[in-house]
Amino acid sequence: MSSVTVMVERNVRLSSRNFEALLTSVMLPILILVLFVYLFGGAIQTGTAEYVDYALPGVLLLCTGFVSALTATRVSEDLQQGIVDRFRSLDVGGAAILGGHVAGSMLRNAVSVTLLIAAALLIGFRPSATPLEWLAVIGVLALFIFAISWAAAVFGLLAKTPEGAAGFQFFVMFLPYPSSAFVPVETMPTWLHGFAENQPATPVIETVRGLLMGTPIGASAALAVAWCVGISVTAIVVAALLFRRRVG
Amino acid sequence: MTTNTERVDYAPPTPKVIADVLHAPGPRPSRAGSVSTSLTFGHRALLKIKHVPEQLFDVTMFPIMFILMFTYLFGGALAGSPREYVQFLLPGILVQTVVMITMYTGLTINKDIEKGVFDRFRSLPIWRPSPLVGALLGDVVRYTLASIIVMLVGMAIGFRPSGGLVGVVLSIVLLLAFSFSLSWIWTMLALLLRTEQAVMGVSMFILFPLTFASNIFVDPATMPGWLQAFVNVNPISHIVTAIRGLMGGSLEFADLAAVGIWCAVFIAIFGPLSMRLYNRKS
Repeated sequence: MSSVTVMVERNVRLSSRNFEALLTSVMLPILILVLFVYLFGGAIQTGTAEYVDYALPGVLLLCTGFVSALTATRVSEDLQQGIVDRFRSLDVGGAAILGGHVAGSMLRNAVSVTLLIAAALLIGFRPSATPLEWLAVIGVLALFIFAISWAAAVFGLLAKTPEGAAGFQFFVMFLPYPSSAFVPVETMPTWLHGFAENQPATPVIETVRGLLMGTPIGASAALAVAWCVGISVTAIVVAALLFRRRVG
Repeated sequence: MTTNTERVDYAPPTPKVIADVLHAPGPRPSRAGSVSTSLTFGHRALLKIKHVPEQLFDVTMFPIMFILMFTYLFGGALAGSPREYVQFLLPGILVQTVVMITMYTGLTINKDIEKGVFDRFRSLPIWRPSPLVGALLGDVVRYTLASIIVMLVGMAIGFRPSGGLVGVVLSIVLLLAFSFSLSWIWTMLALLLRTEQAVMGVSMFILFPLTFASNIFVDPATMPGWLQAFVNVNPISHIVTAIRGLMGGSLEFADLAAVGIWCAVFIAIFGPLSMRLYNRKS
């Protein structure tokens, strides 16, 4: 456990030193939120009083995905720089190294999400959630962050270079677009419905939106948890195998 | 098998040999004109594309991604159906694509300065601005290529310009003129800033709000009042309106005049500033 704590501490320190990446991960989602609310908000009909209320859950997912995907680059950098071999010689386990990256990702996300919600409140976001529903929102987002961070770790272990690992960010950033993040799925062409309704981002967004705004959730919550747990378990197993193969 | 390797001593040319070359019979070749030197540098810019084709990624992949994403993902919510929305969106995406790649003019010039290639150009007996003008001319080919790709993708997914082929060709010509004028801003930045990253950062800082806070994606009437005020004076909005008019066969002279004024302003301000910075560097 102590080695995990040290690894988390190391990740936090690295994050605080890489100010540019920290600023990007905070500013980009806020920029996207402002862009959608003011530029497209008036033109998109969603059935909610304010477009910011509809869009925020999608932007939250975009934000958490973007920040979590940084884990891929971090893991790849560690492998390339040979620091992992040093840790292994100190008898630090693979679980601690990768777990430290994932925990660091969750802490980075906590900062980004807090700032994003603060920005949303400034531009008119008015949730109707109770404290218990807020806790549920945090829980769902934490599950999603955990899943994406482990998936990113897998990608980082697979990538040959940190630049290649950065490609995972583009994939994760694109994921919320063909979903109910910014526009209702019904407004999309029918051939897109299948993907938009059955991809992991949609149930997570619908659950967060339902909890924050009091809209019906239906089966979304169970689906969201199932997706996140499924991705997490698969990613942890694959990451363990890849780590053993690459580091030994 | 034996090889006979003789050592050949290099003898520098004697003064007589040099004199014979310098006093060769016949007229001395005339100095290259401004047009030919600019075209030569334009050709050099095209050769760069040939040798580094990855730089065409922005010209091809990004516009295709933007067209498909906005048309199919947001088209229904913004205009009722993707087919209706593509009629509104495509002229805007055409402008956004070309305007976004104008910043590469600055990046390539900055790279040349950093490598010291520009110092070599300055030592040549050529028209002074030709390396800059040539770089801009080379980029015009890139803009044309981007325009053709955007139009082909648009046509494939249902865009039908009422203005016909003439309207489309005139739109592209107008856009090329606007982009050429706008490129002088990035040329000035390339001569002003030290690194390629700095040029890219400042260019994006200017281009991002200009392209997004415009009438490219949605009708400004749906935006808040304070944003409408900016959108209505944004040069990008003027060029988009003019191109929509040309492609739709309903161009108003005021829109064309507005674009002409912006082009003149960009060239009149940033052209001389760029040349002044360029001359100061030598």
